[in-house]
Amino acid sequence: MSAAHRAVALLLLTLAILAPLMPGFPPFWVTLLSYIGLSALVALGLVVLVGVAGLTSFGQAMFVGFGAYTTAILTTRYGFSPWATLPVALVVSGLLAWGIGAITLRLKGHYLAIATIAWNVSFFYLAGNLDFFQRNDGISGIPAITLLGIDFARSINFYWLVLLCVLLAILLTRNLLDSRAGRAVRALRGGALAAESFGVNTFNARVLAFVYAGVLAGLSGWLYAHLQRAVNPSPFGINMSIDYLLMAVAGGVHSIGGALLGAAIVTLLRDQLQTLLPSLLNAQGNFETIVFGGLLILILQFSPQGLWPHLMKLFSRLLPKPAAVPVPPISEAPPLPLRAQPARGAEVLRASELRKQFGGLVAVDNVGFTLNAGEVVGLIGPNGAGKSTTFNLLTGVLAATKGNVAFLGEEICGSTARHIATRGVARTFQHVKLVRGMSVLDNVALGAHLRGAAGPLSAALHLDRAEEARIFALAWQQLHRVGLAQCAHLVADDLSLGQQRLVEIARALCLDPVLLLLDEPAAGLRHLEKAALAKLLDRLRQDGMTILLVEHDMDFVMNLTDRLVVMNFGAELAQGRPKDIQGNPAVIDAYLGTAA
Amino acid sequence: MTQPILDVQALQVAYDAIIAVSDVSMTVPKGSIVTILGPNGAGKSSLLNAIMGVVPAGGGIHFAGRALGGESVEARVNDGLSLVPEKRELFYSMSVEDNLRLGRFRLRHQGSAEPMLNEMWALFPRLKERRRQLAGTLSGGERQMLAMARALMGEPRLLMLDEPSLGLAPLIVREILQTASNLRDNGVSILLVEQNARAALRIADYGYVLESGRVMLEGEPDALQADQRIVESYLGVRSAVSV
Repeated sequence: MSAAHRAVALLLLTLAILAPLMPGFPPFWVTLLSYIGLSALVALGLVVLVGVAGLTSFGQAMFVGFGAYTTAILTTRYGFSPWATLPVALVVSGLLAWGIGAITLRLKGHYLAIATIAWNVSFFYLAGNLDFFQRNDGISGIPAITLLGIDFARSINFYWLVLLCVLLAILLTRNLLDSRAGRAVRALRGGALAAESFGVNTFNARVLAFVYAGVLAGLSGWLYAHLQRAVNPSPFGINMSIDYLLMAVAGGVHSIGGALLGAAIVTLLRDQLQTLLPSLLNAQGNFETIVFGGLLILILQFSPQGLWPHLMKLFSRLLPKPAAVPVPPISEAPPLPLRAQPARGAEVLRASELRKQFGGLVAVDNVGFTLNAGEVVGLIGPNGAGKSTTFNLLTGVLAATKGNVAFLGEEICGSTARHIATRGVARTFQHVKLVRGMSVLDNVALGAHLRGAAGPLSAALHLDRAEEARIFALAWQQLHRVGLAQCAHLVADDLSLGQQRLVEIARALCLDPVLLLLDEPAAGLRHLEKAALAKLLDRLRQDGMTILLVEHDMDFVMNLTDRLVVMNFGAELAQGRPKDIQGNPAVIDAYLGTAA
Repeated sequence: MTQPILDVQALQVAYDAIIAVSDVSMTVPKGSIVTILGPNGAGKSSLLNAIMGVVPAGGGIHFAGRALGGESVEARVNDGLSLVPEKRELFYSMSVEDNLRLGRFRLRHQGSAEPMLNEMWALFPRLKERRRQLAGTLSGGERQMLAMARALMGEPRLLMLDEPSLGLAPLIVREILQTASNLRDNGVSILLVEQNARAALRIADYGYVLESGRVMLEGEPDALQADQRIVESYLGVRSAVSV
């Protein structure tokens, strides 16, 4: 959290507490503040869902409805106390979100958005037409909340309750995002492929974001029911869902502050416009919707990140520049337990008769080789020879058409990328796959996903700090190793392409791999940097790690590798020691060419 | 002395607080290859992007004698500037031929594209074999060829190549750089950013070494190759397999 964030947060909190206490503050405005809080809870969920996980939902009002109807039915029909229904409302909205998510989250992009619309519309009509929900008349007579003689029917008391809930939600959201589970959710935006290759169950991460947003919406619904003391279907329809999305987008869907700002702007604007516009136009109607539409278009056009970043920029200009974050010193002690490496020289991987066909094109044709512990093997060949495809077959990213891959004696051909990662295979990608917008350090820490165990619940409650500290110590250690510690706090996509490749290597090392697969690690590095990389890989080899690398820099390859596998047109052209390969006429003809 | 095709004076590029290029002056004479060497993050790509108008920059850029100020990227392309980006950035879901035709978009009113297409097929026979194939299905070397050919379709006066050898097999690197050298002989001026310093200096007429956003060293290729600092950090010791 930057100094600007902290200053704005403190300022907002002071305002939120002091404003209603000022003499002469109209009671109606206190209620309005409560409504801002209720919307902010839903918008916060959307920040996690849309801004962080990249999943668009047009169905959040439905989850508000789940919370509201749960408490309405339980209190009026079965005489539950409101406090008893709070956990029930949260569990019901969470469980329904889980069920809906499990069915719907297999869809991607706009299909997912459309599916959430469908769910929301069905809920709206179900509630309006089923006797169980008392149709469109709705349920009235919901009791007010009381606690130890405090009557929350008084608008100021209710506001304190809402404020408390919002503060708790902010805290939980921050804790969650800044954790192992949170990084997994954030990694979704870097593409499922990279995340899965480091053992993240991306489907579960999507469901987690969906359920979290659903529970926050459910909490908002529970509060809403006890504020209104009556519920009917209209505030839980698709229109309200769109409003929630508008709040998140207008405020800034990538930050917690954006959710609060957006909720405040939209709620206040709606309240003002609802009285102003009809009198101006001398007609009755929901004209504010038109203004909202225009507003959304303008924001998307001119400030797609929402208004919050502008506010932040303003404040950071007013505040003194923060001091540079210190780089921790190099430490050699492993922060997390290491896995046992196989004995030097033992067979680590045996690929036999691997074949991959894309339609009529045979990308990999009957390729076989072995890798032994503590060996650096180069996979070389012309562009398009099938090297990257071979990598993808070994790591489970692509399913082989035919063939076997034995890793430490276990058949892994046909296993998922996630499973292969758990066995100790880490990789980098030819086309860099880092999470955009995330810091270098967090990107590297993602590589340690499988070496931690903390779940979302312990993260939200901050019980994961000891493990987190160890994961970050590990991430720093690997960044030191690749020589990028001074870049740890930069956003990963600000680095040059060559440095991004090094970040990928640091991320892969965090997995504590038995086998490291590097796809063009030296591309984009200059001679001195290549020499440093070669030294690092040599040290890893001495530590007993097995490395398979694709690389075109022949100086780099010939000096570093123990053995070479040469591919051409999907098939194996030659195997052998670098010295022999350099003199192999077939390899010279297809790949090396004669030195000019 | 004839007027240079490109003249950059005291160029600066900054992203928020990060200064990528702090003070760079350089010229590209007509019909020559000028190469820019430098470590990662030295500001090489930022320099090319600033000349192309993709990122805002301070200082002066003169192209063919005219000062470039706030011109849009389109206007600069119309002037005859062309950038082949580091990541190629092809239209991957289009055919090879359609990619090339789009490269001529700015000249679409000036008659048929066929003669230029035929020139490209002659220059890169491999692309001709794959003219109906989607660009996304090409191999790395073919992608670089297509990116260069697409730029050439617009008949640029200055071709800027950002790391054309990145991720390419040794044979292909030689082929691509040979093509660049042939283009120069046919009168195209080229600004070449390369990590493969040895290969770049072999075809270049002049070189600049950028470090931390400044020109650290400049000179003829022979002089640069003899400089101890360059040998240590960019060239290394030549071996039998060097490209």
